[in-house]
Amino acid sequence: MAFLKVNNLKVYYPIRGGFFRRVVAHVKAVDDISFELNQGETYGLVGESGCGKTTTGRTIMGLIKATSGEVLFENQDLLKMNRRDFNQHRKDIQMIFQDPYSSLNPRKRVLDIVAEPLRNFERLSPAEEKKKVQFYLEKVGLNPEAIYNYPHEFSGGQRQRIGIARALTLKPKLIIADEPVSALDVSVQAQVLNFMQDIQKEFNLTYLFISHDLGIIQHMCDRIGIMYRGQFVEEGTSRDIYTNPQHIYTKRLISAIPDINPENRENQMKLRQEINSEYKNSYDKYFNAEGKVYNLKPISDTHLVALP
Amino acid sequence: MSNQPLLQIQNLRTSFRIGDDYFAAVDDVSLTVNENEVVAIVGESGCGKSALAMSIMGLHPQERTKLEGKINFKGKNLLSLSTNEMNKVRGKEIGMIFQDPLTALNPLMTCGKQIEESMTVHTNMSSEAKRKRTIELLKKVGIPNPERTYKQYPHELSGGMRQRVVIAIAVACDPLLVIADEPTTALDVTIQAQIMDLLKDLQNQTKTGIILITHDLGVVAEMADRVAVMYAGEIVEIADVHTLFKNPLHPYTRSLFNSIPSSTSTKDRLHVIQGIVPSLKNLPRSGCRFKDRIKWIGDKEHEVNPLLREVSPNHYVRCTCYKNFHFSDEDVGDMNYGIS
Amino acid sequence: MLKFILRRILVMIPQLFILSILIFLLAKAMPGDALTGQLASNPKMDAQTLHELKQKLGMYDPYYVQYARWIKGLLHGNLGMSIIHQTPVTSLIAGKMWNTVLLGAAVLILSYLIAIPLGIIGGRWTDTWADKMIVGYNYLTYATPLFIFALLMLFIFGFVLGWFPTSGSVDIRVENGTFAYYMSKLNHLILPALSGAIVSTTVTIQYLRNEIIDTKIKDFVKTARAKGVSESKVYTRHIFRNSLLPIAAFLGYDIVSLIGGSVFLESIYGYPGIGQLFLTSIMQRDFSVVTALVMISGLATLIGTLLSDIILSAVDPRIRIE
Repeated sequence: MAFLKVNNLKVYYPIRGGFFRRVVAHVKAVDDISFELNQGETYGLVGESGCGKTTTGRTIMGLIKATSGEVLFENQDLLKMNRRDFNQHRKDIQMIFQDPYSSLNPRKRVLDIVAEPLRNFERLSPAEEKKKVQFYLEKVGLNPEAIYNYPHEFSGGQRQRIGIARALTLKPKLIIADEPVSALDVSVQAQVLNFMQDIQKEFNLTYLFISHDLGIIQHMCDRIGIMYRGQFVEEGTSRDIYTNPQHIYTKRLISAIPDINPENRENQMKLRQEINSEYKNSYDKYFNAEGKVYNLKPISDTHLVALP
Repeated sequence: MSNQPLLQIQNLRTSFRIGDDYFAAVDDVSLTVNENEVVAIVGESGCGKSALAMSIMGLHPQERTKLEGKINFKGKNLLSLSTNEMNKVRGKEIGMIFQDPLTALNPLMTCGKQIEESMTVHTNMSSEAKRKRTIELLKKVGIPNPERTYKQYPHELSGGMRQRVVIAIAVACDPLLVIADEPTTALDVTIQAQIMDLLKDLQNQTKTGIILITHDLGVVAEMADRVAVMYAGEIVEIADVHTLFKNPLHPYTRSLFNSIPSSTSTKDRLHVIQGIVPSLKNLPRSGCRFKDRIKWIGDKEHEVNPLLREVSPNHYVRCTCYKNFHFSDEDVGDMNYGIS
Repeated sequence: MLKFILRRILVMIPQLFILSILIFLLAKAMPGDALTGQLASNPKMDAQTLHELKQKLGMYDPYYVQYARWIKGLLHGNLGMSIIHQTPVTSLIAGKMWNTVLLGAAVLILSYLIAIPLGIIGGRWTDTWADKMIVGYNYLTYATPLFIFALLMLFIFGFVLGWFPTSGSVDIRVENGTFAYYMSKLNHLILPALSGAIVSTTVTIQYLRNEIIDTKIKDFVKTARAKGVSESKVYTRHIFRNSLLPIAAFLGYDIVSLIGGSVFLESIYGYPGIGQLFLTSIMQRDFSVVTALVMISGLATLIGTLLSDIILSAVDPRIRIE
């Protein structure tokens, strides 16, 4: 049985109009998506801004209310739980945010930031709490003596690790990482990504890795889901997606990644033009009359594509 | 004009006042840009690449900035121009493209008016001529319905479309040089590809020189003819794009290449540069500035006064430490306990 | 646009209804009434007449009956009778309204005339001596309560120097409608308007100055400079318009609050307007006047928010109402 299973999840926002502000239509931020995560793997959710990937992550976290669907975590539906049961499960799911500059309260000490989830869920004496916080700070490679410092005294990469330490304190099983390195410089990015892989092994973590950066997704993820306008267009292993993309949108995304070899410049430009003309010419093949994608169909054991 | 470089920066030092002292964010930078050439300046945040761009444009607040050296452009030193004279260069002979199209446009002005403003400042065109040219420009930067966009406000356009308007502003008066400061960083990857193609297209038509400021080596590989790598305010390596990507020499350049996840390194560990980028106040002001981040390389490998030397034709590297550089075997990641 | 305004007006109806109940209950909860006090002061009043009068005026009726009577009058545009003045409240208010609007408009115009240039100077040339003076001026006006400042102005320019009249809105000796009459009106207006304006500049100056300082470092200003736009045009075309937006948003409230009048200004300068009427009516428990005035200023506030939204949508293309 899957570790986390999302079934037909929908998140709609109403659009109001007319004289009495009645609901006239919906913005379908997440439109009927289903996917599952196995324990210990890293699942990548990719797409461009506004595709619904962040909304999906936040809905699983319970930060956004789902319109319908199921989120089965260890076989229990998080969406149908009452508040108290949900909070118990919330311990097992933690989130890492994009911006290490704004996601840490600047007026709190590192000790208070990292201990916050502990204080919500466990009753610890101050000494135990301090010990635990220091343990995790050391785990993320920060000086345990730094617990009385404030966030602004740390660099971007260090702050992101404070955020990770905070997420780890409750020994979560699933971590939802929403663009965890997008705000960081490449060398710092490398540091955080390496580190996320280390703790994954050490704590047997499962990651839902949300990103727009296909290079990072390829580097980090076992399986990948590609989202477009709230729906999945393709899902498969890293190899399926990068070496054998089937949906035109996936092809377009992948051809848009800049090639690191300047020798390939001309080819890359040509490839992009080809795919763009294919995108224009075969639009009807991949999108229905409403401009929506079709339902996912398996083309191999691991590879699903939205085709008619 | 043929052999004369379009832009020649000589020993530029840009210092900002913090408290009572001045700190150089750009230090002893020399760089040339030729006609029809794309020169990329690569580096991480705080390396001085944007400060360099703003120095060329003369856009740093004067009361807090000290500029030394020379920026020769078309036979005149930009640093010696008065504000009025500089205003005649900005927008007319040098255009600038900014990073974030969401904030780079005035929210209260229509796109058309914002593009026309450059022409109003620099030419005596009639308003009808300006309008015609603006619509032409909008068409040129790939906006599907230029007449409509002319009348639209920035918030009515998508990010990619706004960046096209920003580009139209930059090239409105056919500048000889365009400075693009992270022109694709804020955009989605498919839009990024479109904007890169557009810039290349425009350049092929107009033979403009482009200074491309970016942190993204992929963008550099696709766009640049020549690359300058900056670290801590200095240029540490300059070479043409093929040489630099095939044979990077400076330890910082090599580290940078090893730290990006690429298709060949799936699931491997990425290289981590030890230590942290020093802040402007704490920049090492003498010796090799990268020394502290490659501590396993002995002191005698570094120069006391590292200079940018030509190590092979048109390939310049700063400091001698590149000669015997190797990555440390125990790459334990960043275990520094310090606080920046 | 029209639809938006209509809908907003529709929403106002329940708001006003709730407001009317609140005002009515509060007025009834106040101790005393307009007549009981006269027992001591008016020789013609005895306990018996008082009782009869109260009965006649319906003061013994249950609250809901009194409320229904009041609201019915209100809907017919009849604000009731002033018990003290023995005239309809409508004509009582109408008589004072003009003076109040005149004073309010003068305060508003003077206040913007002073505040906008000062805010612009402070924001554009930050940290210069001029800016420091403006900030100093701002601290001073912020710390000075209106009633003290107005008294001081009255004392210096009215009593000591004798440049301006010290009370009233017009010289009663001049003939209505003549040139001298209007000059006298103006003469009576200057001192209270100036006192009110100077004290109310603080917020506008502070807002505008901060807004300009924030806008100065925005990216689109950099874009404008990179186009070669001269410094002065960068300010006039790009910075000021964007910085004035929040000020424009307040304008709606400001215009409508004109009719509310200023209790302090009118009382101190003995200026016959709504504010003064409000104060004396409360003291004399002339409830029909008090409730009418509160209703009017409630309505004014609601119209003010609507007006602000409309103004904002007119000056900011990002805000569109339909």
